[in-house]
Amino acid sequence: MMRLDSKIPSGPLESKWDRHRFSEKLVSPNNKRNLTVIVVGAGLAGASAASTLGQLGYHVSCFCFHDSPRRAHSIAAQGGINAAKNYQDDGDSVGRLFYDTIKGGDFRSREANVYRLAQVSTQIVDQCVALGIPFAREYGGQLANRSFGGVQVSRTFYCRGQTGQQLLLGAYSALCWQIERGQVTMHPRTELLDLILVDGQARGIVARDLVTGRISAHMAHAVVLATGGYSNVYYLSTNASGCNVTATYRAWKHGAAFANPCFTQIHPTAIPPGDVHQAKLTLMSESLRNDGRLWVPKLSADHRSPGDIPLPDRDYFLERRYPRFGNLAPRDIASRAVKVVCDEGRGVGPGGRGVYLDFSDVMEQQGLEVVRERYGNLFEMYHRITGEDAYQVPMRIYPAPHYTMGGLWVDYNLMSTVPGLFVIGEANFADHGANRLGASSLMQGLADGYFILPYTIGHYLATATLPPIPDDHAEAREAIQRVETRIHRLLTVKGCRTAAMFHRELGTLLWNHCGMSRNESGLTSALRAIPTLREEFWRDVMVPGSGNSFNQELEYAGRVADYLEFAELLCHDALHRQESCGAHFREEYQTEDGEPRRDDAQFAYVAAWEYREETVPVVHKEPLAFEFVPPTMRSYQ
Amino acid sequence: MVRLFAHFQASVGKKMIMALTGLGLAGFVMAHMLGNLQLFEGPHALNSYAAFLRDMPIVLWAVRIGLLSIAVFHIGLALQLGMRNRRARPVEYTVHRYRQASIASRTMAISGMALLVFVGFHLLHLTAGVIDPGFNDRLDAEGHRDVYSKVVHAFQNPFVVLLYLAGQLGLGLHLNHAIASSIQTMGFEHAGLNRLLKALGPVIGLIVVLGNVAIILAVFLGIVR
Amino acid sequence: MTFTLKIWRQSSPSEQGRFVTYEANDVSPGMSFLEMLDGVNQRLLRSGEEPVAFDQDCREGICGSCALVINGIPHGPDQGITTCQLYMRRFSDGASITIEPWRAKAFPILRDLVVDRSALDRIMQAGGYISVNTGGAVDGNVLLIGKDQAETAMDAASCIGCGACVAACKNASAMLFVAAKVSHLATLPQGRPERARRVNAMLDAMDREGFGSCGNQYECEAVCPKRITVGFIAKLNHEYLRAGIVESGLPNEPESPYAESS
Repeated sequence: MMRLDSKIPSGPLESKWDRHRFSEKLVSPNNKRNLTVIVVGAGLAGASAASTLGQLGYHVSCFCFHDSPRRAHSIAAQGGINAAKNYQDDGDSVGRLFYDTIKGGDFRSREANVYRLAQVSTQIVDQCVALGIPFAREYGGQLANRSFGGVQVSRTFYCRGQTGQQLLLGAYSALCWQIERGQVTMHPRTELLDLILVDGQARGIVARDLVTGRISAHMAHAVVLATGGYSNVYYLSTNASGCNVTATYRAWKHGAAFANPCFTQIHPTAIPPGDVHQAKLTLMSESLRNDGRLWVPKLSADHRSPGDIPLPDRDYFLERRYPRFGNLAPRDIASRAVKVVCDEGRGVGPGGRGVYLDFSDVMEQQGLEVVRERYGNLFEMYHRITGEDAYQVPMRIYPAPHYTMGGLWVDYNLMSTVPGLFVIGEANFADHGANRLGASSLMQGLADGYFILPYTIGHYLATATLPPIPDDHAEAREAIQRVETRIHRLLTVKGCRTAAMFHRELGTLLWNHCGMSRNESGLTSALRAIPTLREEFWRDVMVPGSGNSFNQELEYAGRVADYLEFAELLCHDALHRQESCGAHFREEYQTEDGEPRRDDAQFAYVAAWEYREETVPVVHKEPLAFEFVPPTMRSYQ
Repeated sequence: MVRLFAHFQASVGKKMIMALTGLGLAGFVMAHMLGNLQLFEGPHALNSYAAFLRDMPIVLWAVRIGLLSIAVFHIGLALQLGMRNRRARPVEYTVHRYRQASIASRTMAISGMALLVFVGFHLLHLTAGVIDPGFNDRLDAEGHRDVYSKVVHAFQNPFVVLLYLAGQLGLGLHLNHAIASSIQTMGFEHAGLNRLLKALGPVIGLIVVLGNVAIILAVFLGIVR
Repeated sequence: MTFTLKIWRQSSPSEQGRFVTYEANDVSPGMSFLEMLDGVNQRLLRSGEEPVAFDQDCREGICGSCALVINGIPHGPDQGITTCQLYMRRFSDGASITIEPWRAKAFPILRDLVVDRSALDRIMQAGGYISVNTGGAVDGNVLLIGKDQAETAMDAASCIGCGACVAACKNASAMLFVAAKVSHLATLPQGRPERARRVNAMLDAMDREGFGSCGNQYECEAVCPKRITVGFIAKLNHEYLRAGIVESGLPNEPESPYAESS
């Protein structure tokens, strides 16, 4: 029976983390040398954790499937990173960042975790400056800030539109230093395919060298997963094509609880999907909504060109529904509003998937040059992708899966329900509750990697009994066997459909039934359809080549196979959560004017799912107590 | 001192030595051209200039040996780096297109080699007088060696003129890329002076070539007799 | 639209590669170059053949994975973009397109169009960092850094490590890559203490990896998807020269930073 012990320290919110750190046991420097930690993933969380652990004196083996740790998808984050520095003296504080994050997450995250995140945020920025990250500066030489994601203070630090890139390169450079020192051994182009548990503790992984196809076991004293989110389960998302659920899903099958999988963030401003060949959706910065106005024709199937539609025939739907926030309504609200008008048949562009994001008013008032200066690069990108000139015709945008708040359940120490298995960054169920605010994913990834995990893992290593185990331990051999069997199975189906075809089909299914809004009948039908699709996959998938060579299609097929199982868990969670909160919108639970209805009495908990072989997963509940911020209704009207 | 030299063992250091030696050679070429322009002032000026140089044998030979060693360094490092560069891309592209590299920059090796051959010929021809020794020992009215007549005689031969013009083409091409390139290699960058620095190569190259060509053609076309 | 593709196929690093011609049919102008290749691969897969291997990931021009030489130019005919940001409307219908991998001794081919760029990582490991420990950093505003300085550092830091500069260089030199990192860190006060050691270590690593030397042709700049300019190469040279003069003037060889103090 799974027990969820969140290990939240008692006492006042402000001093929980400090007191907890003091009560943690330390590992002496001599002993650190004899301890090995495996870090899987080298994005913001993974690279910062691996480098810090290396610096502390542990032996670290770091794995990533890319050719270099610098390519993880953290690199694509554009906007910035939040920190409660209050450099602008506009009333920001740790408390306010904490409050904004809790409220933005629609009261589905842990107070203690979020408070710690807000506390650590200030250290992150200092650390990043020390690492040489070229944050934007004012003329006087101080750090510049901007406001982001619908909050009332300017607390976002940024490097043009490439903040994620710069932060990742900073963590990567720290990692490079530790590799040079011999503290970290990097394994690029190596993918985790299974976890090795010995006596119930996570003691290693099975990984495949993607170049030679060699499968080997790597043993350690603890394993850290920093493998990101699973938005790609929808096939089309803003994630990189390599992003996958494999590591966290396989850990789940070994007994790590998976928390709140249905909390998936759909970002409102992506370029709409084009034809069936499309492989990815491109995000347009959220900042466009500062000046652009969203509208659709009032009449459905109005095929006039946008310029010919007169004002009375236009519906500026966000301004109409949310007069107070207008076009700046939060991500989940805006995405849903777009979906509503598209479902009414008023969407524009191919397939009616899209709404106009119109800059003509601001261009008229402030001039074209102002728009060009602010958004020139985005307009250029839009033009390159769509071939349309947004200075002449309004942009078209459509929501796209972007981030997953759900992930492996972790306690206050970031350890999953499997002892010795730590989960950081987007891969854990995190501090974002049911909806993430802009510029806080970078903050969380680095908080976990630089400042939280290195402390908490030490306590585990100092207190757990960890007998030495050889590389060819029976559990390791068995795990290798499992992996080899599975690869063999994939290669021998020799069917006629490609993994991409299954992936696309699964994505469409999920997007329709478990996307921006969900309902019982849709979810139950999805739960019926997914196993069928999975069976078809194992009967009819085509994977060419062999397992002993560089085989990208084999890698991909393995990931799709995991998505085909994981999708079911996603739907189970969405079905069980009979309320609307944050990014999770159940059509049955809405107010008369279509606003989400949260149910704190019944659902103020973290749903942590336990894997059961051959049967439906079991949900365990970690109740969420709000001692310091009483839950309120999130209203943006 | 040893450490300073050891430092410049890296390929960038070698490039810097190439740049410095190249700039030295370019300076010589410039001075050489300016000196020779005295041809236009008549036999007296040129012959006494030549005599003036020959009257200081130690300086003359010091400069000659200096130039030779500079050239040896320049060419030696060019060969070394060139081989390194060839090794760096063992398999060539099947289709390859340049985006902005100038013709001069792409032909540095060829123009350099052409220049080497030409300089060899030039030294044997006009300096040592091995080729066409006709005017070697002739003296002018003042008792100086009659360099003027030797030059005039030399450039009346269309084959020699053609060869020298080809040499000038190589020199021009080489200088065109070399000067701005050397400045870049020596690590000098200035946003405001960027265009000026870029223009230095073509401008200096053009001046040197025009000066030299003027001498050759002036003789050949009978303007100077 | 339809295209005739001449694609480099090579099944392993040791084997001889060759060009194979494929037809790409049903291509729409709005497809990206990589989506067009996806289409070709899907057709190959359905006929049981092994698809063309190529590196790609983010498909929005920032991860630096994609690396194709298209008709003789790294990242294709447009400037300031990566391969994944190239769209088929850029080509005329029926065109013939040659696709090759990056070619350099330091980038051995792993399969088809995939090359091993870990040489760039090893250059970074030699010194492309500021060695500060996690924790204990002073407040970010203690160091005042001028806006221009920060912008220059950011210009250099925007390098995505794709290796197009190496691919385009006649000498397969990695100077622009090294220049970007060295300039980024040397421009900022945080990077100053280690600047001499860093530039030497990174350039030594570059030589060790078998990259060529700079010919100042500036092809690297012309293909760089992030438009990093060759002014940074001048800055790198400057740093190197400075390091040589400064270091040889030090009283002793600097002590190894990792030596244990007794």
